Amino acid sequence: MSVVVRGVSKRFGRVPALDSVSVEFLPGEVHAVLGENGAGKSTLVQVLAGFIVPDEGSLEIDGEPFPLGDPVAARARGLAMVHQHFTLVPAFTVAENVALDRAGSLRGRLDLAEATSEARDRAAALGWEIDFEARAGDLPVGAQQRAEVLKALCGGARTIVLDEPTAVLSPEEADDLIRVVRGLAAEGKTVVLIAHKLSEVARAADRVTVLRRGRHVATALVSGTTTDQMAHWMVGDRDPVPVSASRAPGRPLLKAIGLRVWGDRGNEAVRGIDLDLAEGEVLGIGGVDGNGQVELAEALAGVRPFSGGLEVPGAARVGYIPQDRQTDGLALTMSVEDNLRIGHEGDPGLSVGRFWRPRAVRSWADALRERFDVRSAGATSLVGSLSGGNQQKVVVARVLSQRPDLLVAVNPTRGLDLKAVDFVHGQLREAARAGSGIVLISTDLDELEALADRTVFLQSGRLTDRLVGGAA
Amino acid sequence: MTAAIVLASVLVALWVFGVDPVSGVSLIAKGAFGDKFGVARTLVRAVPLVLVGLGVVVAWRAGVFNIGGEGQYVVGGLAAAWLAAALPLVGPLAMVSFLAAAALGGACLAWLAGWLEVHRRVPAVITTILLNFVSLQALDWAVRGPLQEPTRQRPLSARLPSESMLPRFDPQTDLHAGVFVAVAAVAAIWAFFRYSHAGFLVRLVGENPRVARANRTDTGRTKKLAMALSGALCGLAGGVTYAGVSGQIGDGFAEGWGFLAIPVALLGGLEAWGVLAASLLFGALLAGSENLSRFSAVGPTVVYVIQGLSVLGVLAAFRWRRAGGAGGP
Repeated sequence: MSVVVRGVSKRFGRVPALDSVSVEFLPGEVHAVLGENGAGKSTLVQVLAGFIVPDEGSLEIDGEPFPLGDPVAARARGLAMVHQHFTLVPAFTVAENVALDRAGSLRGRLDLAEATSEARDRAAALGWEIDFEARAGDLPVGAQQRAEVLKALCGGARTIVLDEPTAVLSPEEADDLIRVVRGLAAEGKTVVLIAHKLSEVARAADRVTVLRRGRHVATALVSGTTTDQMAHWMVGDRDPVPVSASRAPGRPLLKAIGLRVWGDRGNEAVRGIDLDLAEGEVLGIGGVDGNGQVELAEALAGVRPFSGGLEVPGAARVGYIPQDRQTDGLALTMSVEDNLRIGHEGDPGLSVGRFWRPRAVRSWADALRERFDVRSAGATSLVGSLSGGNQQKVVVARVLSQRPDLLVAVNPTRGLDLKAVDFVHGQLREAARAGSGIVLISTDLDELEALADRTVFLQSGRLTDRLVGGAA
Repeated sequence: MTAAIVLASVLVALWVFGVDPVSGVSLIAKGAFGDKFGVARTLVRAVPLVLVGLGVVVAWRAGVFNIGGEGQYVVGGLAAAWLAAALPLVGPLAMVSFLAAAALGGACLAWLAGWLEVHRRVPAVITTILLNFVSLQALDWAVRGPLQEPTRQRPLSARLPSESMLPRFDPQTDLHAGVFVAVAAVAAIWAFFRYSHAGFLVRLVGENPRVARANRTDTGRTKKLAMALSGALCGLAGGVTYAGVSGQIGDGFAEGWGFLAIPVALLGGLEAWGVLAASLLFGALLAGSENLSRFSAVGPTVVYVIQGLSVLGVLAAFRWRRAGGAGGP
């Protein structure tokens, strides 16, 4: 089915999120919508899903006008969403989550087997092994993503909108998803892929529409353009990436011997690993998501119990950029300013004794927002109202401004656009140059290559020198 | 808008009771702020609402649902009455000691619920409700036992000498110096959240304990602290009623302030100054509808009907406005 967006505009306060954007999505093709953080991609998705009523403009499906702001009608007309932030109920099993999506009303009897049979068939056809009886909240993000995709595919969806689906996936998982997406288009479905990674768009999409600051910049056939051209459309002019300079490592900072960490379900997630890290060094840890990365990071950051030896100087300040910014990195219902000042109680200048100096905090927060290019209406905006990329910038800004001796970062550029990735990478390099030891856990090989002095890989809770079965 | 909804609730209640709306509303307004007696009644009723409401705010902000304001209020009153019976205190020293004992009593009771939640994973919603029963039973026992007045006729403690009670502004009204305690508490809690590290951490722990933990905050300690502070405010309310209004404590000491304060805190948006405004509104409503029940044929039930309808109406309107105004998911 064809989905047409005609002249859609939406403002949040004074900030235009979409400025009379028109796009046509056609059946049988993968249509990528590309743009920086805050370019309006997610707002466009929300308009399609019926969660946001635009100020102006209209939607059409197969030439018929389509009700705005009615998510149930959108779903009934075959428009399915895979949201950037998952919509699974963590306490429900995968099967229950799939059934929930199909239920729709309080009446009738729930037959879990019947409600999930289509999803099980789909999963088998895609070659996905999914534990339908596992609690969704216990699954690694890669598996949660698959559950989301399955939910969207069931129930006669003819148009699938995926909002930054690969942001949390390892390269292998991303490749697999691209395969699935291509398969859907081949079946004649309309696929809308919200993305900011050029390489993915080049591989996955037939056509691309580029948004910048809420405006439509270009729509083109992917085969008829280049990644350089698309990058230019996205960001205008872009600075070249600085090359990382290698340097002599400093004094030893962290030493782990036989470190063992247990996961939430009592599974042994990290099975006895040895690590060492010196001041000023960036240790990269790669690997497919769900191999113990999160557990390792939490143990190093001091928020998860472990056994075995782990030596960090007692006075070392530890900064932690978690995998999931929304549950572990931010208090979504608090302001940008409040989120920035977490862990900054001891900063001279911001406090007198055990009391804040609100004016000093405000000007400090404003400066930090400016430096990290956090796009929000003000310091008092709720962090939950920011786009995903800007939320990530708040976490990175807070942690880096804590000037940690040891920094544990898990996918620190998840959901960021090119410019912001460059900026964060630059900041991480600078922190290392200033003497911070950094454990960089990332599923993005490019990121590891750009930053790490040396890289090891986690495979089923153990360290290996190279990525088994991977593309490295 | 809140005032409009309250007025509408009042009109519905009057209509149900068959009272002429014009005379009914004028009786309520007169009872609430028509003369110095009305104003005094309104303020006296607002004082415990402010203090317990602030207590609810502090605990709920930390993510601990303290429903035990009533019990902590009673224990606060009991602690003050016990101190009065135990030590021969008089004058200003007595007043300060009563209030301190009341705050300490309430704090201990709430801290216990906080400790159980943090270390034994028993939700405070359950323990605080259960501790309400314990407190009420303790009150029943105390006023028939160790604290009973010397003649042992009625379930009441001995009356405080008037020089040990909080000073009154006008001998004809009940208005006492406790209003200053309430206003000072509002300012203190406002400053606590705006300026202190502890207040910031209480909010952070309530909004996202995982983030707090990742930044080396002892979330359990913060919750226990918030509960102790919450209980201290609720207990203080009981102490202020004891030393300001009644001067003695009986088995009817618990008047439901601890429960009414919960909607008051929600109405105040869980903010200190909001609690003050909501308490004044409900203080006025109570004072006014008591006047209505006294000077019309409807009886005392109308007080509770008006109170209940107003709470429901205002909370429903708040929810509706939030759901309608959010715009996004």
